[in-house]
Amino acid sequence: MINAPAPLLDVRDLTVTINRDGKLVTALDKVSFFVNPGEVLGIVGESGAGKSITGAAIIDLLVPPLKRTGGTITLAGTRLDQLSPKAMRSVRGGRIGFVFQDPMTSLNPVITIGQQLCDTIQAHLKLGGNQTKKRALDWLDRVGLPNPDVQFKRYPHQLSGGMRQRVVIALALCADPALVIADEPTTALDVSVQAHILELLRDLHRESNVSMMLITHDLGVIAKMADRVAVLYAGRVAEISPVGELFNAPKHPYTRGLIRATPMPSATGEMRLDQIPGAMPGLGAVPPGCAFNPRCFRAEGDCRATIPPLYHEESSAFSCFHPLERVTA
Amino acid sequence: MLNYAASRIVQTVIVLLVISFIAFLLVANIGDPLAALLSADATVNERLELIAKLGLDQPLWTRFLHFIGNMLHGDFGFSYRTQDPVANLIAERLPATVELAFVSLLITIVVGVPAGIYCGVNPNSLFGRFIMLISTAGITLPNFVVGILLIAVFSVQLGLLPSFGRGTVVDLGFWKTGLLSVSGWRAILLPAATLSTFQVAFIIRMLRTQLMEVGQSEHIRFARARGLSEARIWYVYAIKNTLLPVITMLGLQLGNIIAFSVVTENVFAWPGLGSLFLQSIQGADIPVIAIYLIFVGLVFMVINLIVELLYPLIDARVLRRQS
Amino acid sequence: MTPVVNTPAAGPVRRSRGAKLLRAMRRAPGPTLCAIVIIALLIYAFVVPLFSLNPFEFSGMSVLDSFIPPAWMADGSPDFPLGTDDQGRNLITAMAYGMRTSIIVGFLSVTIGLVLGGSLGLIAGFVGGKVDAFIMRVADVQLAYPALLLAMIIDGAARAVLGTERSVGTAIAIVVMSIGIAFWVQYARTIRSSVMIERDQDYVSAARITGRSNLSIIVLHILPNVMAPVLVIATINLGIAIITEATLSFLGIGIPVTSPSLGTLIRNGNNFLQSGEWWISVWPCLILVLFVVSVNILGDHLRDVYNPRLRGRS
Repeated sequence: MINAPAPLLDVRDLTVTINRDGKLVTALDKVSFFVNPGEVLGIVGESGAGKSITGAAIIDLLVPPLKRTGGTITLAGTRLDQLSPKAMRSVRGGRIGFVFQDPMTSLNPVITIGQQLCDTIQAHLKLGGNQTKKRALDWLDRVGLPNPDVQFKRYPHQLSGGMRQRVVIALALCADPALVIADEPTTALDVSVQAHILELLRDLHRESNVSMMLITHDLGVIAKMADRVAVLYAGRVAEISPVGELFNAPKHPYTRGLIRATPMPSATGEMRLDQIPGAMPGLGAVPPGCAFNPRCFRAEGDCRATIPPLYHEESSAFSCFHPLERVTA
Repeated sequence: MLNYAASRIVQTVIVLLVISFIAFLLVANIGDPLAALLSADATVNERLELIAKLGLDQPLWTRFLHFIGNMLHGDFGFSYRTQDPVANLIAERLPATVELAFVSLLITIVVGVPAGIYCGVNPNSLFGRFIMLISTAGITLPNFVVGILLIAVFSVQLGLLPSFGRGTVVDLGFWKTGLLSVSGWRAILLPAATLSTFQVAFIIRMLRTQLMEVGQSEHIRFARARGLSEARIWYVYAIKNTLLPVITMLGLQLGNIIAFSVVTENVFAWPGLGSLFLQSIQGADIPVIAIYLIFVGLVFMVINLIVELLYPLIDARVLRRQS
Repeated sequence: MTPVVNTPAAGPVRRSRGAKLLRAMRRAPGPTLCAIVIIALLIYAFVVPLFSLNPFEFSGMSVLDSFIPPAWMADGSPDFPLGTDDQGRNLITAMAYGMRTSIIVGFLSVTIGLVLGGSLGLIAGFVGGKVDAFIMRVADVQLAYPALLLAMIIDGAARAVLGTERSVGTAIAIVVMSIGIAFWVQYARTIRSSVMIERDQDYVSAARITGRSNLSIIVLHILPNVMAPVLVIATINLGIAIITEATLSFLGIGIPVTSPSLGTLIRNGNNFLQSGEWWISVWPCLILVLFVVSVNILGDHLRDVYNPRLRGRS
């Protein structure tokens, strides 16, 4: 972190709570990470680890009763957590694009694709009607839709799932944001389409050098796309490492468990599949100390008593008192 | 789409024929047209003549076809009560009812739609809750109670508005309108407000529920994530999604609105179709009741058919579902 | 991806019926209040007539007391807290009698609608095929006509058959029948769809294999399973039935004046509204609204509790 350039997005101690019948339950517990310019940060974890909440919290789009209660979010020097609702609106879509998960539900069914694009462009860029339309058509072309002129006038239901997700990506990028948050962008798609969409995201990232936060539960996607990876567990950061280091020398026992639980050929070519015993604690049921301690084979007394802080090493950080040695990987 | 429209039109025509048949059975089997149309000292010959003239000696199906044929030619039979042609009675009363319905629809759009949108966008605001309370009352209060209370306040206590009649009516030759005079407008306000209470309350509740539902949908969240203004999100992106269900529901409530017009016209002595219908029931005037039955069915079916056929203009997805 | 919500599974706690009811009442104070209002009005409608002479049979006696305003007004009398009508009837007594008629008519017509719609729905759902198609098409056609209008038409037809002069008993029977018939569709549709779901369940097939007759399968197995949603609809319809009766009576085509209901009381009072004797019509209006609104709120609550699937339909 010392030699790194100033990060584009810097999130520190982000805390989100959920108000459940008057009781405050922590959903995100002091999550910190940063995204460098032009970098792809993968955010990985099981369902319920807090990945999507992290993404939504950054652009202040949490659905009540979820609420951001602490931490700072800085985008290129601007404190997002202190912005007025109006200023926040110009950040959404303008500075930060957001790719939603399910293209079947995230496009307005009764408004044409062209209109949705033009509205988004005009919300952020001061362009005339013709230029707006030109830009919209251009983006339809860039995300790989054939015959942009035809697609422009169509409604979402007239497109396939993969085409719709291309439209969603165009909508997220059409106002030239500096950062794109993609929340499980391929999860809802057919396996055959997933690869195309990932390829598109990677191409667009290369062309425009936009930074990206890629939220996924799929380590395969991470391996293909990410530069660095943050692993979330029960609303806390377990580990943040460059992608190669993460797969080859995970520090946190949970990271290793996650990797081993993913069907992936090992160095020797055989398939290994080990499950971590137990299940991730639900909201409000996080044990004292390290959240992972009941499932961890290295857990000791200190793990059950105190929450381990985030230890920083050269290029990585981990939250564990008894990290794995390089050799064990 | 054309196939779909054609099949829906055929269905509607069949249902209307069924309704006409029921109405025809009423006329054919209930009441005695001879007793109603002949004087007490009529001769046997006069009697037979009338039987032949009315076709009462023909088999049922022939008479039904005649009945339909006559209706298509604008001959709706004669009222037992006044001996007038039913067509004349209806033509005479129609303008009053149409104007009442029109003004009450106007009130619904001007009052109900904005209030409903307000409640949908701000469901938890104090004013929004207050509107909901009023609309709950509006939907449960019987129509005549609303009318009586409005008369008690605005006519009796405050003396602001008349409580009966149409005021000054201007004859345009083909249409007698009350909407061209000040007294006509003053006279229509209370009955139209009474008639619109139900629709206003209904549309407020519908819009609120629909908007709240749409407001939580993923595509609205995505629109927010793209930085669209709240105004654009609610008034274009969300509203467009609520139009279809709201219009459909309102169309299906048309029957209720027609029924309430009978009550409202009675409370305000409004000389429209509803009053005619009520007088016909009190006088067991079967031909008029039968024609009114068909008329109500026709209006209900045709308007709902039009609404349904216009769906694709609002939501293109319907086209695919239809074909 | 929404956070997984782990609700701690509540252990099977045994509660007495009384405690359960108390808990339900505390959770829903509004509906509880409505239930109390309904019970109070029922007691009023059925107990007051036991202790007072029917003012509609001995009306001549008190003409001197006519048009007395409510007790707190200038010319009011403490003998008549809510005032008297044109015939000098104490409105408190008159309304109890009127309300009793309204409630009885409401209950009877809901029962008729339930029995009629219930049996047609059972037949449609159980027999299926052409019978089902016919019954449901009739229901579709009838849906174009709201209950109120239909009740008016049936009443008019009955008048044409039986003549415009008729006895009180006949008049009440006609009103009950016409409201009941106007309401059958909703029951028929609900029961039919429930039957269609239930009839393919294993327990029904099992009963059929053991050689039970269709009738006994319906009575023993299917009916108990479809009763809950039907009773909820019946509660809501009770409110609508009472309003329909009151509307018909108000229009002069329902209950005759000699055996008044809330509707006829309002109709009568409406004659004096213009001359300033507002209380004759306004009190019956208010009591009608109070009762119907209470029934509706309670019905809506029951619907939400019993069968969330029904929510939004009406």
